[in-house]
Amino acid sequence: MSKKESFDKMTTDILRSVRLTNLSFKIWMGFITVSFLICIYAYTIQLREGLGVAGIRDYVSWGMYISNFVFFVATSLIGMLISAVLGLSGIKWAAPLARIAEIIALAFAMVAGLVIVSDMGRPERLAYVFIYGRIQSPILWDVTVVTTYVAISALLLYLPLIPDLKICYDRLENIPKLQRNIYKWLSLDWSGSPEQIKIVRRSVRILLILIIPVAMGIHTVTSWLFAATTRTGWDSTIFGPYFVSGAFVSGCAAVIIAMFVYRKTYHLDKYITEFHFDKMGRLLVLVSLVYLYFNLNEYLVPGYKMKKFDHFHLMELFSGRFALLFWGTQLLGLVIPLILLLFKKIRRPLPMLVIAIFVLAGAWLKRLLIVVPTMENPYLPIQNVPLNFKFYTPTLIETAITLASIFLVLIIITVLSKVVPIIPIQEIELDEHESESV
Amino acid sequence: MVLLVVMLCFQSGIAQTVVVPADKKAKASPLLFNDAAVKDGENIYNKNCVSCHGNPTKANYQKSMSPIPGDPAEEKFQKNSDGELFYKIGVGNAVMPMFKNILSEEERWKLVGYIRSFNKSYKQPPLEVVVVNLLSKTVKLAISYNEKSHQIAITAKGKIKNDTVPLKGSEIVLYAKRYFGRLQIETVKQTNQQGTVLFAFPKDLPGDKVGNIELIAKINDELFGEVSVSKTLKIGIPTDKPSLTEKRAIWNVNAKAPIWILLTYTIGVLVVLSFLIYIIFSIIKIKKVSKKNN
Repeated sequence: MSKKESFDKMTTDILRSVRLTNLSFKIWMGFITVSFLICIYAYTIQLREGLGVAGIRDYVSWGMYISNFVFFVATSLIGMLISAVLGLSGIKWAAPLARIAEIIALAFAMVAGLVIVSDMGRPERLAYVFIYGRIQSPILWDVTVVTTYVAISALLLYLPLIPDLKICYDRLENIPKLQRNIYKWLSLDWSGSPEQIKIVRRSVRILLILIIPVAMGIHTVTSWLFAATTRTGWDSTIFGPYFVSGAFVSGCAAVIIAMFVYRKTYHLDKYITEFHFDKMGRLLVLVSLVYLYFNLNEYLVPGYKMKKFDHFHLMELFSGRFALLFWGTQLLGLVIPLILLLFKKIRRPLPMLVIAIFVLAGAWLKRLLIVVPTMENPYLPIQNVPLNFKFYTPTLIETAITLASIFLVLIIITVLSKVVPIIPIQEIELDEHESESV
Repeated sequence: MVLLVVMLCFQSGIAQTVVVPADKKAKASPLLFNDAAVKDGENIYNKNCVSCHGNPTKANYQKSMSPIPGDPAEEKFQKNSDGELFYKIGVGNAVMPMFKNILSEEERWKLVGYIRSFNKSYKQPPLEVVVVNLLSKTVKLAISYNEKSHQIAITAKGKIKNDTVPLKGSEIVLYAKRYFGRLQIETVKQTNQQGTVLFAFPKDLPGDKVGNIELIAKINDELFGEVSVSKTLKIGIPTDKPSLTEKRAIWNVNAKAPIWILLTYTIGVLVVLSFLIYIIFSIIKIKKVSKKNN
């Protein structure tokens, strides 16, 4: 098979997902859209009745919403790890996964901002954050970095996509005219001249370097929302790296799930191979080890000292009300997956899918464990309040609103991966070309 | 703190049951225990009593204390006369503080009303004709300061019809007003034959910019009831501390943010923004190159 033929074959394979819309895609899209709309109805109730319909009260004012926000910001960090850290280190195997990681990053980062709005009793006052925001407040920094990260992620998704959009325009003749025109317009009439390739490469390189501090910033600032207070369980100097390392764990799990789904539904076995799963498995082991190390520091050090207020908080986690959730999350969501993934036999698509689901669920619950127990345990005792002020219990409406954000992420990911090739065609082709000519 | 609790426990061990003089026992409330009074009583109770006595009828009082505070809805409390309850609230018992100088008479009667609201068989005796309040308006308290001896002299005089008489043996309490609440000066003292009482005033109490301190004297007389008078005297140490919100600080408003935060934030945002603008221009350039090539 000549090079031209193999490139044609690859393009056809990768574009199949864009070209064909099968029944299972329609069912899936319909399911997430309807679910999203039902959950949005729950939000209209909250908008009308106020935040009282959620389980959050005066003491636990950050419940599921903010935990979910932290989880979303965390998961979005994977774009930086795969595209920038691995990309700039010249690790070639990650290249086909870069776009998947970028799509996940963009979707989660975009919705993270909306999740914050769902935690607001008066969302129409969102602009006040900018008008009356205090520059000393980590909340303002958070809004700034999240917005910047969304912008960089969008550009980082778009720039390497320009040549591929041109391919879409050229190859996909039977698609609706409007869609084809959008491809044409977005591809900027790409001609593939050396000058254009140079501009794209340089721009992507700048973005890859830029995204590293911004991504570190977005999650470090999110951790500062907690660590800038003196509250038990949050008053920690390692919260920044602790959050960032945790972010890579949940991000890797999200990418593994996406890899599995795309590979199966779009028949990309040739491009997302067992080799990639093996590598992602190793990467997940690495980031999990780092995260485990931070966990050890975060719980062992205060647990050894057991200062007066830490004592109650930690005992609630280790053997109290949250013990089951805490140990379940730590063991099933971190330690056991980490051990299992050490075995080569486990680092295959299906077992890794199961492990990744556990890791991702564990990552979500871990955020809840960081937010809620601390809020239930303030320095000044809680007095003369009803029982539901003392102990946080999420309501159905709150859960539905949280699910809405998850469905929205799924919609964005599904739509994006439907309209653009999820494996960078041009980049792989160029890379192969270059490695041959060397 | 622990030491204090231990001390208080020991003290309570030797505490006697409060003996109420017969005339106090027979004293009836000048106030009608209507719904409004009971409601006020509840608020006062929740602020001052609930931490030890718990919520009435719930028996959730502090069982570890000695003497055990008990639930005011209990038989043990309700078998007291109104006067006894009023007196006991006023003088306290061992670990229970003396509320005479903390709560006014009216407030203490409202508390009695609240406690009685848990007793269905209780009927308030008919009100006596109250003259105390009318008379009380004619009490005069004079506050003066002796610079040499650092003493505050308070003279209490009452007017009955046209006669002005010194109030002998009345209890007077003196406070200095602070940022939050009042600081009691010495202890509760009784007036002498001339109706005067002397309080040694601390020499090092900070006042405002010029040294002013607002003094509040309160008299609680059998006949004249409760009267308080305030007077501002230049007897404190002039204190002019800059306000915590005067300088640039983390906790201050946006316009007074620390320079380093302003710089870090602004430079960070500008650097990232300039790169992003450069990228946008690069995208425009790609478009231009395409046009040239086609």
